[in-house]
Amino acid sequence: MKHLKPVNNKARLLSKVADEDQIEEVVAMQSLAGCTATTDPGWEIDAFGSVTSLCQPMESDLYGCADPCWWPAQVPDMMNTYPNWNEKATNSGENWRNLGSVFPADKE
Amino acid sequence: MKFPKLSRLNLLLRKTPLAAGIAACGMTWAGVANSASDALTEKAESIIRSNCLACHSEQQAEPAQFSRISHQRKTPEGWLMTIARMQIMHGLQISNEDRRTLVKYLSDKQGLAPEETAGSRYAMERRLNTMESFDSAEFAEMCARCHSGARVALQRRPAGEWEHLVHFHLGQWPSLEYQALSRDREWFELALNNMVPALAKDYPLKSQSWQQWQQTDKPELGGSWSFAGQMPGKGDVHGQMQITSAGNDEYQVRITGQYADGSPLKGKGSAIVYTGYEWRANLTFEGVGQEKIKMRQVFAASKEGDQLTGRMFAAVHDEMGMDFSAVRQQSQPDLIAVQPAYIKAGTRQTITLVGNNLGTDVSLGEGVSVEKVVLRDANKLVLQVRAAKDSEPGARQVTVGQAGGASLTVYDRISSVKVVPEYSVARVGGNGGSTPKYNAHFQAEAWASGADGKPGTADDLRIGYVPAKWHVEPFDAQAKADNDVHFTGRMNASTGMFTTASAGPNPERRMSTNNAGNLKVVASVKDGGQKLTGDGQLIVTVQRWNNPPLP
Repeated sequence: MKHLKPVNNKARLLSKVADEDQIEEVVAMQSLAGCTATTDPGWEIDAFGSVTSLCQPMESDLYGCADPCWWPAQVPDMMNTYPNWNEKATNSGENWRNLGSVFPADKE
Repeated sequence: MKFPKLSRLNLLLRKTPLAAGIAACGMTWAGVANSASDALTEKAESIIRSNCLACHSEQQAEPAQFSRISHQRKTPEGWLMTIARMQIMHGLQISNEDRRTLVKYLSDKQGLAPEETAGSRYAMERRLNTMESFDSAEFAEMCARCHSGARVALQRRPAGEWEHLVHFHLGQWPSLEYQALSRDREWFELALNNMVPALAKDYPLKSQSWQQWQQTDKPELGGSWSFAGQMPGKGDVHGQMQITSAGNDEYQVRITGQYADGSPLKGKGSAIVYTGYEWRANLTFEGVGQEKIKMRQVFAASKEGDQLTGRMFAAVHDEMGMDFSAVRQQSQPDLIAVQPAYIKAGTRQTITLVGNNLGTDVSLGEGVSVEKVVLRDANKLVLQVRAAKDSEPGARQVTVGQAGGASLTVYDRISSVKVVPEYSVARVGGNGGSTPKYNAHFQAEAWASGADGKPGTADDLRIGYVPAKWHVEPFDAQAKADNDVHFTGRMNASTGMFTTASAGPNPERRMSTNNAGNLKVVASVKDGGQKLTGDGQLIVTVQRWNNPPLP
């Protein structure tokens, strides 16, 4: 990090945090059942235990996250398991309502 | 592994004198086989042979053994997720009915013993605000950073099968090695060389408890039951549960109860028991007006079949639910709840004792006396009681005849208030999308200072959940700047229920961000002339679309 200079607020926030180990320690210990503790950023919370450093809105980068299956336990991964998940929602900002839940209610 | 098939006759002959004695006083013991029943076995194995052998192989005919399938043990939810995954990932075509048959057969034949689910039942009970904590940091980082650790802890496999699971993870989600907590280490080598042996040791296929559980006779659960529960926002509830056997471990269920505020709880539905003790019921309750509420029960039956404990929760909004315990009427005398379970020194109040076979002699402990019996039957006792002004603060064991097991706490004053849960996550939803809102429910837990007179120390005395006034505040400066209190939802001031705002981008917010936010949840409690507050943290975040039975 010593050769990188923060140029926006989010980056300045990051550089304030002492080191990466500390972030992981704090957030990993706060993991609620089923919430991801992978925080770069996480799905539920960002590296600061808040939500302000998540993608805003999350729809703007949703497929950038679903394609490489970044949080497969929360968001259907489109790399292998649900390749057609967004076929009715090519524009996530406009069509997010067409994204289905992947463990249907009939499976009980 | 051999799974003995025992006929009904065999089991009847193997009844112990104790079992026979209990049967004589109203309980019946079914000829539930130690593993799946013969008819179920035949049907399920036929389904496996006709649906699964394109990929799996039959390794042995009698008793049947199939590759992969026969070398794992799971909960009913675990088996359901496995078969659903076969449908989603591998194109398995199977009817809902056949899938239900397989889940029942596999859970009975290759389930988990009661001891093996202890400590992880919160996942089956959908207590998603449970803060997980594991002794092994490596387990938390390698397994429980994407999904719950309980999803793993509720499976049993030999080393070879855990190894298959590692390969499956990397094959199905190849980018996992680039994620945080992977890219900083040799993930694959660690998974194979460290995690596989650790998992095979901690969660082995063969165990003494499972071997013993297979040999244990499983009780029928039909009969009349008393139950007690506690619902956030509504308070204590108690009543009767009528369970009627429909054969093959299936039951019809009727519930009639009453909340502390007098409102009724009335519903009916059906239940199925897996593995001889895993009770799962789907019930429909009468709501306000024409509204019906579907609820699900996830309980564990005791080995003797006279207790059911777990959680009952709304089917769609599973964040809304209650702790639930029930005791079979006409079994050993038992007291399951004192409602409310606390009284202030120098005051008088009405309390309800819930249990079965309640006798006449009531003991509420030193300093607490019964002034009047308002109502009495074998399963419920409503009393007007008084705690003397000088009675010593502390918990007292309550007994009614031979029934005991619950306590009543006397306190002098509330000295601190905790918000429960202290840290939780809610999710935006609705607004035309496929995911419902995931709301949040809070309770105010009152505590008294112990002998040292200081709140927040080890000798503090837990009083119980008390009524509170609720509101939310920005958690920090950023939450204030983003006006999270306005955008993320609304707190009900009297019930402590936070209803989240709508899903989707919000053009009114900076960068059209979602209605996510970071809130401080504040409970205000009045006790005598003093006002106390407690607070917790609520993260309101985005929805999840992948929401299987085990988080």
